[in-house]
Amino acid sequence: MKEYTLLSIFSLFLIFLIEVRLKSGIFKLKIFWLFLLIIAVFKLLVNGYLTGRNIVIYNPNFFLGIRLGSIPIEDFIFGFSMVSLTVILWEHFNKEKI
Amino acid sequence: MSKYAIVLLLSVIVPFLLSFWPPLKFYRNLRSLLLSILTIVIIFGAWDVFATWRGHWYFNSGMVWPLRLANLPLEEWLFFVVIPFCCIFTWEVVKYLRLKIK
Repeated sequence: MKEYTLLSIFSLFLIFLIEVRLKSGIFKLKIFWLFLLIIAVFKLLVNGYLTGRNIVIYNPNFFLGIRLGSIPIEDFIFGFSMVSLTVILWEHFNKEKI
Repeated sequence: MSKYAIVLLLSVIVPFLLSFWPPLKFYRNLRSLLLSILTIVIIFGAWDVFATWRGHWYFNSGMVWPLRLANLPLEEWLFFVVIPFCCIFTWEVVKYLRLKIK
């Protein structure tokens, strides 16, 4: 298995563990998936530009080589993990009593 | 301005300006905002430093600023500040609009 592929899948498990631990419940909310859809549109623009214009260049030895346009599929998992964790943390810190 | 920096600026400009719009109450949650972004910078920054060190990906030196921190261009670090900010903004807008529609 390629390293980036493996790491991205590992991050997915980690995010689900953190979600269960912090009980944000976001994955059960319809609006979370609507939010994710909106983010995905902007992700395609930003990530598509960064990869399409070769601002970031990927070594084919470390990912599957499957791309959506110019974006490696692993980037979608990386993005999902980062965006989900952001919302989980934001909701968590908002609930905290100071 | 590097190409990468322009992308970041274009991403953040509208969310940043609209975040001052009173109904979103961003200013009340500054602590949560900073803590969330800081955590993302640490976790995903570490991943990025590792991936760049291993050679999973690299940055086109002609399209980023020459200043690097732990081998990552400054723009890449800013990415982990800008994108979480845009996400939290979008999340709050979606929640706000749902309340309005109901």
